[in-house]
Amino acid sequence: MHGAESKLTQRNASRHVAPDRQNVLFAYHGRYLRFDASRHEAEFVALDEHVLRRYLGGSGLGVHLLLAEGAAECEPLGEQATLAFVFSPLVGSPLTTSAKFAVVSKSPLTNRINDSLASSGFALAGKRTGCDALLITGRAASLSVLVIDDGAARLEPAEELRGMTCGETESLLRQRYGPEFSFAVIGPAGERQVRYATISHDGRHAGRGGSGAVLGAKNIKAVAVRGTQRCTWADPDGLYKLARAISQKSFGPATAKYRELGTASNLLVFNRLGALPTRNFRAGSFEQAEQLSPESLAAARGKVQSSCAACTIGCEHIYGLAGRNKSSSESAAASAGVRMEYESLFALGPLCGVGDGDAVLRASSRCDELGLDTISTGGTIAFTMECAERGLIDEPWLRFGDGDALLRAVEMIGRREGIGDLLAEGSRRMAESLGGDALSFAPQVKGLEIPGYEPRALQTMALGLAVGTRGADHNRSGAYEADFSERADRRRITPESAALAVETEDRAALIDSLILCKFLRGVFVELYAEAAEMLRLVTGWNATPDELRATARRIVDAKKLFNQRAGWTPAEDTLPERFFTSSTSDDPAAQLDRGRFQAAVAAYNKTRGWTADGYLEQDAVRELSRDHDAVIEQRAVACLPPAQSSKSYAN
Amino acid sequence: VSPVVSIRVELFGIARRRAGVDHVWLNVNSAGSSLGELLGELARRFPSFAEACLDGERLRRGFVANQNGDRFVSDPSTKLQDGDTLLIMSADAGG
Repeated sequence: MHGAESKLTQRNASRHVAPDRQNVLFAYHGRYLRFDASRHEAEFVALDEHVLRRYLGGSGLGVHLLLAEGAAECEPLGEQATLAFVFSPLVGSPLTTSAKFAVVSKSPLTNRINDSLASSGFALAGKRTGCDALLITGRAASLSVLVIDDGAARLEPAEELRGMTCGETESLLRQRYGPEFSFAVIGPAGERQVRYATISHDGRHAGRGGSGAVLGAKNIKAVAVRGTQRCTWADPDGLYKLARAISQKSFGPATAKYRELGTASNLLVFNRLGALPTRNFRAGSFEQAEQLSPESLAAARGKVQSSCAACTIGCEHIYGLAGRNKSSSESAAASAGVRMEYESLFALGPLCGVGDGDAVLRASSRCDELGLDTISTGGTIAFTMECAERGLIDEPWLRFGDGDALLRAVEMIGRREGIGDLLAEGSRRMAESLGGDALSFAPQVKGLEIPGYEPRALQTMALGLAVGTRGADHNRSGAYEADFSERADRRRITPESAALAVETEDRAALIDSLILCKFLRGVFVELYAEAAEMLRLVTGWNATPDELRATARRIVDAKKLFNQRAGWTPAEDTLPERFFTSSTSDDPAAQLDRGRFQAAVAAYNKTRGWTADGYLEQDAVRELSRDHDAVIEQRAVACLPPAQSSKSYAN
Repeated sequence: VSPVVSIRVELFGIARRRAGVDHVWLNVNSAGSSLGELLGELARRFPSFAEACLDGERLRRGFVANQNGDRFVSDPSTKLQDGDTLLIMSADAGG
C-alpha cells in the first residue's frame, strides 16, 4: 500500500446546508481526518458545531475525540491506540502565539491522558489540510512517513530515516518534500519507544508523556502536512484590530521576562526560595546555580533569540556552546546553538547535581536530537544516580555532579543501550522493578517525572502536581502562581489551596484548547472575557465568560473521565513518600504535612464537584458520554460547510 | 532622631537587569521602614528599575516582593525590620 493514495471517504457529509451566516462555520473546517495506518484508510469525520463550541480545540477537542475512539481502554503502544494532532479555532488567525497544536494520546509513561503542545509552522500547515484534527490509529507495516497533502493521506516508506535524529529527519524531509510542507517527527528515542519520547517540529517538542513513543509504535517516523484550505473569520476587521492591540501589549512589561531572559531566569529565584529541586529532590537549592543562570550562560557563550511562527514574544534563547572538544555524536545542530528553557536547565543541571553549563547544554541538545523529554530524562537519571549511591543498582559511574555521566546516560536512554533500556521506562517503572523503597524517592506522579517546582517549598503547587490528570505537571496546573503571591503561604498547604489550584487548572484548560501560549497570560486582565471576545471575532459565537468557565471545567472533567476509564484510582493523587517524611535538606521549614495535604486533595475534589475521593459524579459522566457518543452518531449526519477556502500555498 | 535600619534588597530577573545590581543594602530611617518607602529609595537610586518595575510606591503588576524568603508582600505600608531581606522578582514563575 505504500506510496498509494489511501481510500478516502467522507462520512455522510451529504446534507448540504445553505451557506448563510447562521449555518456557516467560521474558524473551523468542521471535520477531522481519521487515518488507519494498518488498513491504509482515511476518512473525514464531521465535527458538529455544538461539539466544537463545547471543547474548542487543542487539548479539549483532543480528549473529546479520544474518548469517542475508546482510546482510554487501549494499550498506549498497541495497534489500536489513537494519537491526535489537534488544531484550534485561532490557528491561522493574526492573534499572536496562536500557531500552536496539541498532540493528544494515552501516555505510555502514565497510562493516563496525555496532551502535549507545540508551536509553529506545523500548526498552520496542518490546519490548511482542511481538518481541525488529524487522528492516527493502527500501525504501518514498516517505518513510514504519513503524508497529508490538502486532506489526501498516504504512507510513504521511510526505512532510510531509521536512526536519524529529529533535526536530521526534518532536514532531509524538507529537501524531499519542499518548503510548503511542515513536519512532525520522532527521533531514535521514539523509534525505540522510550516512554518519554517527544514529537519534534522545527526544534520544538510536544514534550511530555511519550507521544513520540506512540507515533513510533505506529511505525510512523514523521507526519508531513501541506494544504491550501483556509478558514475565514466571522469578523475579520475586529479580529485584526484586536490582534494588533494584543501584539502591542505583548511587547510590554508582561512578557519582558520571557523576551529578555527566557524561562531560565526562574533558576536563581527558585534557588533563593529553596524551591529549586536539587539532587533528586533532596535539596531545594544548588550551590552552583549562579553559573547556570541565563546571565552567566550568555556571558560565557553568547546568545541569540528566536520565536515561534506568529509570535511577538520571542522567548527562545539559544546559547552557543563553548569551544571544548565535541563528542562524536554531537550534531551540527548543537554546534549552531542550544535552546534552553528553565525545565531543561533544572532537570539536567541541579536535579542531577551538574553545575557545568556546557554539560547541561549538550545534554539538552542531545535530548532534543534524540527526541527525549528533558524533564523525564533528567528526573530518571537523577533517580538512578540516587539508586547508585544507595547501592540499589551497580552503576558506580552514574554519580551526582558528573557531567560526562549525564551525557553518557542520555545517549544510552535514547538508544535503549545497557542500563539505558531500564531508564527508558521512566522512574516509576524502574522503581517498581528495583523494589524495596525505591518508589518512595522516584520523582514522579502517575509515572510522569516532576517538573522544576519543589513541592515542599511550593505547597499549592504540590497539590496541583498531585491531582493533575497528566501526572506531575506544570503546564496543566499553574498553582505555583498562588505560591508566588500573598494568596497562599507557600510552605503551608490548606484546604483553601484547592480553589487556587482549580482556578489555575481551569485557566490552563482554556488556554490549551483555544490554543494560546501561556507566556501571553500576563497581558490579559480578564482572561475569560478576553477569550470570549477572541472567540466571537473568529467564530461568531456570542460566548460569555461564564460559558468559557464551564467549558474549561468540562475539559478538565473530560480528562478525568478518560483517566477513570483507563483505570485511575484515588491513590494516584498523591506525591512520592519522600515529600511527606523529610524536609528539604536546606530548609527545615519546607515540610509537607500529610494530613493537611490529604485535606487539600479532598477540598480539591469537592471544589471540582467530584465525589469525595475524586470520581466524577454520574450526571457529569452521562453528559460527557452524550458528547462523545455524538461524535459516533455524527458519522451519520451532515457536517457544516467551512465558510470558504482560498487555495494558496502562500503562508 | 529615629534609628537607622538596614535592609538588604535582592533583585532577580528583569529587576536585576534594570537596576544593574543583584543586591543593595539600604539604610532607612526606622520611621520610614515600610515597603513603600523602601521602593521609593530604590526608585531614587535606580531610575531604570523604577520605570520598569514600579507604579508609584507599589510594584507593577508582574512583579512581586518577598520578605525574608517567607511571605510575599505588596501593601506599601508593610513594615520592614532591621536586618530584613527583601526579594524583588517576577510574579510569573512559569517555566
